[in-house]
Amino acid sequence: MEQRWANTSRLTINEKQFIEEALRSEIRVDGRRLYDYRRLTIKFGRYRCLPRATILSCKCYHLRFSLFCCNCREDGSSEVQLGETHVMAFVTGQLLQPYRDRPNEGTLAIFTEFSPMADPSFEPGRPGEAAIELGRVIDRGLRESRAVDMESLCVVAGKSVWAIRVDLHIIDNGGNLIDAANIAALAALSTFRRPECSVGGDDNQEIIVHDPEVRDPIPLTIHHFPIAVTFAFFHEGNTLVIDPHYKEEAVSGVRMTVTVNSNGDVCAIQKAGGEGILSGDVMRCLRIASLKASEMTTKIKEAVETYNAEVALKKVKRHPSLIAQKITVPDVEMKEASFQKTKELSADMENSPNQTSTSLTTTKDKDTNASIGRPLNWDPYSSSAPAIVSSSTLPELVGTSKDANEDQMMQTDEEYDPNLKKDQIASATGVSSGIHKQNSPPKSLKDAVKPKHKRKKNAERGAR
Amino acid sequence: MDVDTGNMTQTNLVDKVVVPGDVVLDLTKMENQTIKLGSGLRQDCDYISVMQAGKLRLSKPNKYWVESSQKRYVPRLEDTVLGIVVEHRSDNFLVDIKAPNLAFLPVLAFEGGTRRNIPKFETGTLIYARVVKANGIMNPELSCTDASGKAAEFGQLKNGYMFETSTGLARMLLSSPTCPVLEALGNKISFETAVGLNGRVWVNASSPDDVILVSNAIMRSEFLSGTQQRIMAEKLLERLQKS
Repeated sequence: MEQRWANTSRLTINEKQFIEEALRSEIRVDGRRLYDYRRLTIKFGRYRCLPRATILSCKCYHLRFSLFCCNCREDGSSEVQLGETHVMAFVTGQLLQPYRDRPNEGTLAIFTEFSPMADPSFEPGRPGEAAIELGRVIDRGLRESRAVDMESLCVVAGKSVWAIRVDLHIIDNGGNLIDAANIAALAALSTFRRPECSVGGDDNQEIIVHDPEVRDPIPLTIHHFPIAVTFAFFHEGNTLVIDPHYKEEAVSGVRMTVTVNSNGDVCAIQKAGGEGILSGDVMRCLRIASLKASEMTTKIKEAVETYNAEVALKKVKRHPSLIAQKITVPDVEMKEASFQKTKELSADMENSPNQTSTSLTTTKDKDTNASIGRPLNWDPYSSSAPAIVSSSTLPELVGTSKDANEDQMMQTDEEYDPNLKKDQIASATGVSSGIHKQNSPPKSLKDAVKPKHKRKKNAERGAR
Repeated sequence: MDVDTGNMTQTNLVDKVVVPGDVVLDLTKMENQTIKLGSGLRQDCDYISVMQAGKLRLSKPNKYWVESSQKRYVPRLEDTVLGIVVEHRSDNFLVDIKAPNLAFLPVLAFEGGTRRNIPKFETGTLIYARVVKANGIMNPELSCTDASGKAAEFGQLKNGYMFETSTGLARMLLSSPTCPVLEALGNKISFETAVGLNGRVWVNASSPDDVILVSNAIMRSEFLSGTQQRIMAEKLLERLQKS
C-alpha cells in the first residue's frame, strides 16, 4: 500500500494557498493571464514509421486491401501538445452494418486510452471514470452536434456503412485533457481519408473498395468544428480560468467544459465538481468560449491546410507512368477485370491466364516477404522463364517483373519495397539491359516504364 | 571490457559525457595512488567503470564522480530534501520525497522534541529535512535536526510556492559560487528559497508576482549556461519592470 502512496503526485498546502492567492491578483503560476491558452502544437501523420505487421488494426472490408492501406495510415492521425499535455488521436474506418434504427447513416465512435505513463494515477486496463468521462464529453461534442456528416458514409443502406473510430491516447497529463483531446480528434478527423468504394459486381450488390492508389481516398465531410473550452473555478465561483494546468485542476475542484463552434452554437456543456456555479457565470463562460473557439478553429484549420499542402506536394513527385499502371489490383472481385486487362497486355502470351493466376496467388506471399526481390513466384512452366540474366541486378528485376503489376502499387510507398524502388529507378534509367529480352512476359510495366529501351516495347504499348 | 580510451593515469574523459560501461581509469597503470570515487563510479577489479550516465567530474587531486540528472530521487545519506507529509502514524510521519519508498520522519526528530510537543503536520505539509538513513531496500529515514540536535532551518516551510525540478537542476542551484540565475534575480528581488536535492524547490517572496517570476526563471534555467541564465533573468525582470 505504501508503494502505491509513493507513486501518486501530491499537492502541498503551500501550493494550494499560493495558487488561490495569486489568482486573487489575477496571475497564474506559469505567468499566463486568466483567459490564455497554453502553447498549442499540432502535428500530423506520425503513423508512417510503423512496421506493416502492426498496421492491420485497420480491419478494412477487404483483406488484400488492408495490407495496402499503409498509405492511409499517414492520414487520420494527429499529435497535439497543449503546454505539457500531450495527446494523440488516430482515426480508422471500417465497413460495418449500420444500426437498425439508422440504416443509412455511418457511425462514429470514440475510444480513449489513458496511458499509465501519463500520470501516476492512471492504471492500465479498463478505462477509469476519468477516461470514460473524457470520451463521453468529446463524443457528445462531435457526434450529437452532427459535426461529421454521417449520411455520406453510407455505402449500401441497411447493409454496409462506414464506421469511423477515433482512438485517443493520452501520453502526458499536464492538465486540461478534454480540450487537448478534442483538438486532436478534430485534427485527425480532418486529415482522415477513407477509401472510395463503389457498388458493383455481378448483382450490383457487391461493394468494391478501391485501392488508394487507384482512386484517391475521400476526406470526411465535417460541417463545423466543435471546440471544447474548459474552465476551472476558484474562490467559490468568483474567479475562473481557461485551460487549467495540472495543479490548478487539483486545487480548483470545479470544472466546466463548454463545447461551442465558431458560429456560436453550443454543442455541449458539462460541469463536474462539487461546488455550484451561478447561471450568470455559465453565460459568461459561453461568451468567452465562443471567442476562444473561433481562434482555435482558425489554428486547427491552418495546421490541417499546411499538412494537406505538404501531402499534395509529395504526391506530385510520383513517377508519372505509375499512375496509369494499376491494373492488377489483387482483389477477388477485381480478378475479372484484371484478368481481362492483363489478357490485353499479354495478348501474345499463351499462358497468360496461368501467369495472372500465379501472380495473383503469389502476391500474397510476395507481400509477406516483400522487398526481398528474389526471383520467387516463378512459374516454372511459364515461357517467360528469364534465362537471360547478365547482370547481378537482374534476378531481382526478373523476379519482380512478373509481379510488376502488383508491385507497382507498393512502389510508391518507399518503406515497402526498397528493392522494387530500386527496380523502378534502375528501369527508369534503363540500366537493366536484360529485361528487354523477355519478350513473352506480361507486357510488363517495366517495359512501359523504360522509354529508353526498345522501340518495339513502345509499339506494343501503343497497341494496348 | 573495452580498454582503449580513458585508460591512463590521467583520464581524458573528465567533463565529458559518459555512459554506463565506459572505463575511466585503469588501475594497473597507477601505483600507490589513492583515488576517491563518488557516485556513479565503481571499481571492477582493475578498472574503474561508469555506472550512471552523466558528466564525469574531477576534483583535484583525486576525487572522481559522475554528475547525472533524473526526475526521481535515490536517497543518500546526509542529503537535504523537501518532503511532503502523507500520513501521521503513531511514532513517525510518512513523508514523500520522490524516492521509490516513502520516508519515515520520527515524531521526536525535532529540536527539543518530546512526546508532549509532537508537531501537528497535516497531510500536504511541506518539510525541509535531512536524510539520516538510506539504503536500497528499507524506507529512508529523515530528521528535522542537524547532527548536533539543533533545528538549523529544518522543519515546516510555510507559505511560498513549491515546484518540482530534476535533481541536476537542484544541485546546480545549490552549487557554490552562487548559481548565476539566483544571483541575477537576487540583485533585484528579495526572496528566499529552499532547495531539496530530491528535485523540489520552495520559493517565498513578499508578493505573488515575485514568487512566480523567480520560480519560472529557475525552471527555465536548467539547460542554460551561466551567461545565458543571467541574460534570461534580466530579460524577465525587464519585462515585468522590476529593474
